[in-house]
Amino acid sequence: MSDEKVLIKGNYAIAQAAVNAGCQCYFGYPITPQTEIGEYLSGKMQELDRAYVCAESELGAINMVMGAVSTGVKAMTSSSSCAVALMQEALSYAASDELPVVLVNVMRTGPGLGYIYPAQGDYNQAVYGGGNGDYKIIVLAPSTVQECVDLTYRAFYLAQKYRNPVILLADGLLGQMMEPASFGEYPYPEVDVSGWALTGAKGREARKIYSVAPDEKKQIQHIYDLHKKFEVITENETTYEEFNIDDAQIVLTAFGSMTRNIKAAMNVLRGKGIKAGCFRPVTLSPFPHKRISELAAAGKDFAVVEMNMGQMFKDVKYAVDGKSNVDLINRPCGEWLSVEEIVAGVEGVMQGGKTYAASI
Amino acid sequence: METNFIIAGFGGQGVLLAGTVLANAFMIEGKNVTWYPCYGAEMRGGTVNCEIVVSDTEVSSVHKQDTDFALVLNQQSFDKFVQRVKSGGTIVANSTLVAESHPRSDIKYVFAPMTKIANDMGNGKVTNVVSLGVLSSVCKIVSKDFLAKGVEKVLGEKKKNLLPLNLEALENGAGSLALV
Repeated sequence: MSDEKVLIKGNYAIAQAAVNAGCQCYFGYPITPQTEIGEYLSGKMQELDRAYVCAESELGAINMVMGAVSTGVKAMTSSSSCAVALMQEALSYAASDELPVVLVNVMRTGPGLGYIYPAQGDYNQAVYGGGNGDYKIIVLAPSTVQECVDLTYRAFYLAQKYRNPVILLADGLLGQMMEPASFGEYPYPEVDVSGWALTGAKGREARKIYSVAPDEKKQIQHIYDLHKKFEVITENETTYEEFNIDDAQIVLTAFGSMTRNIKAAMNVLRGKGIKAGCFRPVTLSPFPHKRISELAAAGKDFAVVEMNMGQMFKDVKYAVDGKSNVDLINRPCGEWLSVEEIVAGVEGVMQGGKTYAASI
Repeated sequence: METNFIIAGFGGQGVLLAGTVLANAFMIEGKNVTWYPCYGAEMRGGTVNCEIVVSDTEVSSVHKQDTDFALVLNQQSFDKFVQRVKSGGTIVANSTLVAESHPRSDIKYVFAPMTKIANDMGNGKVTNVVSLGVLSSVCKIVSKDFLAKGVEKVLGEKKKNLLPLNLEALENGAGSLALV
């Protein structure tokens, strides 16, 4: 692939990036607004003599991914909100089994069946998980179509590097929009999986991958090990972006495709003499608690802008820990908060310190 | 400097494709651009639209309440989007299917018989490309030359045989206002 820019939909960008990353198997079940991922791969994987299976259900799809990745190959599934809910049991198993599952969630509106409008209501589902037990998933949130490419590459790499499930958390707006992006080459080294992958036991001792733990001591140790691993991930892989942060009095904070809007709002606010900055976590898990804590200690206030009822807001509050003010500017789903609404929200916050929620 | 466009019509008129050509033209010109379709549970015969935002700097938001330009290919789209044009903005309408009217006094109106021009060429399917030609003649940031490159890019190698027809449609659209 070249560095030439192409005008491409977020969904197709994710699909092509998965191909470039060396994804050997795709298993999925259609759902709006991410169906183009499966559609694209249904042709592409066949062309490349790789595996494409339209599964009988989302449960089937995620379990097929677990089976495929346990043999050491790269594999993924993609889905959306209410259907990702069906995959939560498998994610808990995959985390415990330390399987490099890659799952793309192009978020739509919930709860329940909801609808196909874009939303960011699965922050908690992705970051805190809907499966049982103490486990953690790596969650990456692209904000542009270019990042749909870059973070898909990173998802495959991190999954194998740490043997941990990774969720790429996009949204309907990003999946459906087109923007120029370039693919370049898959930028990461291939991870050696020969030490654990199930490739047939001929000539070596048999291996097992399972999560049943009838031995209490071993289970305690297993959970400690998983969490120690995540401490390493937190230390090495936490990423975020900052804009105009040094002199900022109020820091607009958003994730995913809302980032574009807060940057524009920041520019408008600066034009009005308000020292606004922007902060945007790239990894939602591990979350950049430490950096937000530093900024709060420096006296900077936060306005969290998101398309849900305040999910990342709680993580920011936890990181700030009372050291400065944190407010929420939000709408539950549908049309993204406009630049004007965000500017009005920040001005309202700065005047009254009250939480601002946009009307529908 | 940021400008946004809504292109709308009924399903089958090729408005999403017209938007794709326009967005490609801007990309080839080296500008920042986004394309966002309306998507939902649409019915056959219903309206469809896409929004293109072009900017010298980063695009501020992909989907906006109002628009600088609305390019509308049928009556329903005219009725709906004439309300969304910014004060001082322009609506460019396909007068073959849109009755000429001026419901607001604070916007500019351009009417061109896009479907008729396409039909006169013997192929009504190029109405969408004709409409882009018209747009290029009334909007100075839309370049006909880059639209031609955009058309070429979208058609690709597979449909290269359709390029002459589409370039002619672009020219006929761009020249249509001089005839009125």
